[in-house]
Amino acid sequence: MKLWIYIVRRLLLLIPVIIGVMTITFVLVSALPTSVHILAILGPTKAPCGYQPTCAPGTIGSACPANGPPCQNPTYVRAINQIGLNQPYIVQWGHYIYNALTLNWGYSDAKSFASVNLFGSQSNPVTSILGWYLPYTLELAALSLMIILLLAIPIGNYSAVYRNRPFDQSARVLSFSGFAFPGFLLAVLVLYAATIFLSGGVHATYCSTQSTAFNQWYGSWPVKECLINSQYPTWIGQHQATSPTGFPTVDAVINALIAPNAAQAQQNWYLAANSIQRMILPALVIAFGSIALILRFVRNSMLEVMNLDFIRTARSKGVPESRVISYHAGRNSLNVTVTVLGLTFAAFIAGFPVIEDVFGLNGIGLLLVYSVQPTQDYGLIFATTLLFTFIVVFANLTVDLLYAALDPRVRLG
Amino acid sequence: MVDAQPAAPESSGGPPLPKGRRPNPQIAQLKRTLYFLRRNTLALVGIGILLFMIGVAIYSPLFPAPNDQMTLMCGTSGNPLAGSGCLCTYPIGTPPPSPNCIAVDQYFPSLIAPTLTLTSGGPLPLGSITNTPENGYFYNLEAGLVKGAPWSLGISAAVVAAGASIGLLLGATAGYLGGYSDEVIMRFTDIFLAIPGLLLLIVILATLGSAFPGLFGRLGILLFAFIITDWPIYTRIVRGQVLVTREQKYVEAAKASGAKNGRILLRHIVPNSLYPVFVQMSLDVGTIPLSLGVLVFLGFSIFPAQWFPEWGNITAHSVNTTFLEGLFTYCETAPTCVFPWWQIFLPGLTLFAFGLAVNFLSDGLRDALDPRLRR
Repeated sequence: MKLWIYIVRRLLLLIPVIIGVMTITFVLVSALPTSVHILAILGPTKAPCGYQPTCAPGTIGSACPANGPPCQNPTYVRAINQIGLNQPYIVQWGHYIYNALTLNWGYSDAKSFASVNLFGSQSNPVTSILGWYLPYTLELAALSLMIILLLAIPIGNYSAVYRNRPFDQSARVLSFSGFAFPGFLLAVLVLYAATIFLSGGVHATYCSTQSTAFNQWYGSWPVKECLINSQYPTWIGQHQATSPTGFPTVDAVINALIAPNAAQAQQNWYLAANSIQRMILPALVIAFGSIALILRFVRNSMLEVMNLDFIRTARSKGVPESRVISYHAGRNSLNVTVTVLGLTFAAFIAGFPVIEDVFGLNGIGLLLVYSVQPTQDYGLIFATTLLFTFIVVFANLTVDLLYAALDPRVRLG
Repeated sequence: MVDAQPAAPESSGGPPLPKGRRPNPQIAQLKRTLYFLRRNTLALVGIGILLFMIGVAIYSPLFPAPNDQMTLMCGTSGNPLAGSGCLCTYPIGTPPPSPNCIAVDQYFPSLIAPTLTLTSGGPLPLGSITNTPENGYFYNLEAGLVKGAPWSLGISAAVVAAGASIGLLLGATAGYLGGYSDEVIMRFTDIFLAIPGLLLLIVILATLGSAFPGLFGRLGILLFAFIITDWPIYTRIVRGQVLVTREQKYVEAAKASGAKNGRILLRHIVPNSLYPVFVQMSLDVGTIPLSLGVLVFLGFSIFPAQWFPEWGNITAHSVNTTFLEGLFTYCETAPTCVFPWWQIFLPGLTLFAFGLAVNFLSDGLRDALDPRLRR
């Protein structure tokens, strides 16, 4: 089968999955009170009744239209008609799917924890908010994936070579530890250690204005309160992704390349390096948590490959052992690594909210954490879930394609 | 994967079997598994830790609760810590002395003392069980962890058992029948597999979490959310395994001798597809208290009381309070503070030991059950 036919087929097969995911979220959405719908779909400025209800408290919610005395507020009834909450569920489902596919994901709640803390109690379209925050998460994901691969492949290979020796056993225990250790606890401990070693003890202020080593390493992109000597240009600050791509590191590099003079170029290079430096600790924590499974699979697949005939052939014709391991066996166990990456991607991405919360990284995960705080922001919660699901689905597709590219024996189809 | 009529055990390195009568193959298989498990030190360590925890869970009703007193706090029932500093303590069974006393643990009065205020006197020293006014009302970790053992183990076991049963049923049906039912079931499973587990939990709990207040309502929602998240992976595993098993000769023989579909499934296919399910189950058991901890850490009040004795809950709360209040507030105002490391160490160690134990066990099971890895 040709590659493009395979891609088209896979994309077509994705449609039922994506519609199914949206149906699940729709079932949950329709369990929400009416006022939440009005708010999330129309936005606070346009919602006549949901946001500043003139109905008596308690009547605006789910009790109002279904049973009990009808709410006599005309604006409320008009809003319900306007957003179609009085229509049959199948029609509402159709609207939901259409809106989700056209990226019309509603508005964030201006009074929710997320809005107040991230964009100054303004209500914004959810899609724009996701657009501001997604690049940060993607950069962090890329860095952690790089760390995972750089560690898992050599360690897994050598575990297989030195099977059941101390190296293998300690790698095994280490990877189990990553699996069993609570991620939030590890993140907090790493942050605590960073405070102690880099800024002189527990008593140091959480986010001081001086440029201490902790400030350099504290794994955040610039938060308003924690700018280092105010060196950050506005376009790299919080929720202001007006720069070329929106990716902080990439933007810094681009700006360094097109800088008019040497001083500005140097400052932008410094920004790019600093941005990566701030991602290192969180990326390491994420890698530690999700390396276990990949390590196991790499080791087991390497064990299987090492017993195959062509390895014996290579050895018997006098190929040096190091080359046998790295070239003959390692290359062939790579396929499994790629497959496992796809399988574990969902777990990998689900670890982000906690890490971004602890380290204060302005990514999608932090958005999710903030939007589940007591004044819950349902628009953001559901949109973030859909976005994460899309990321996972497309990552799986990419992995399948990579698998085919790495192993010529794999027949697409 | 698993051969139904196992080869002579000697040839695969198993224990010597008694001569004479031919043993029941399933018993022989079980014996072989136990033999390989016994040779695996890490798996033995895991089993030991698990048995210890189960023992603690059985013992926990006998464990002395802090003073056996009902510690109540003034405040609202939604936010019992709002009025911290104003506490009323009175024996269980007697009416509260003041109407301002609101039960924090209204369902299980003597579970743990729900008080943690680092600013009012410093952390409670290790090893102290009692929780008296002289000690300053501190959160009693030991009591909480012991009392939490049955809840943590019970919730994990219930979720995994239910998820595996659903997965077994659907996966076996899909794999055995094939055709349209396979397509329908597996596409349905794919939908659930596409959503990252933690996010599905968050979405379900955000919408339904407060639908049924009260202990059993909340625990029911919790179990529901976890089961919804857990079953798809079992369906996929079982289906893959059944696809291999149903091509075996003994299934053909059963079919030829006129066995019905139900009997073939229950007696021949399901028992021989169970082993990867066991491995996955033992892996999943360890992640459930961790996920509970993550949910609490993210700010979900999924338990009926804030200090509900569940390991994940205790860990998350301890990390939150110790680091946010302890490190950055308490220690800034009191320069001679002793950092209460045990408040993180004890619950963290409990969670870690549990996760590590089930991982060791799962790894040992995989090695013992998969003949290719045994060698």
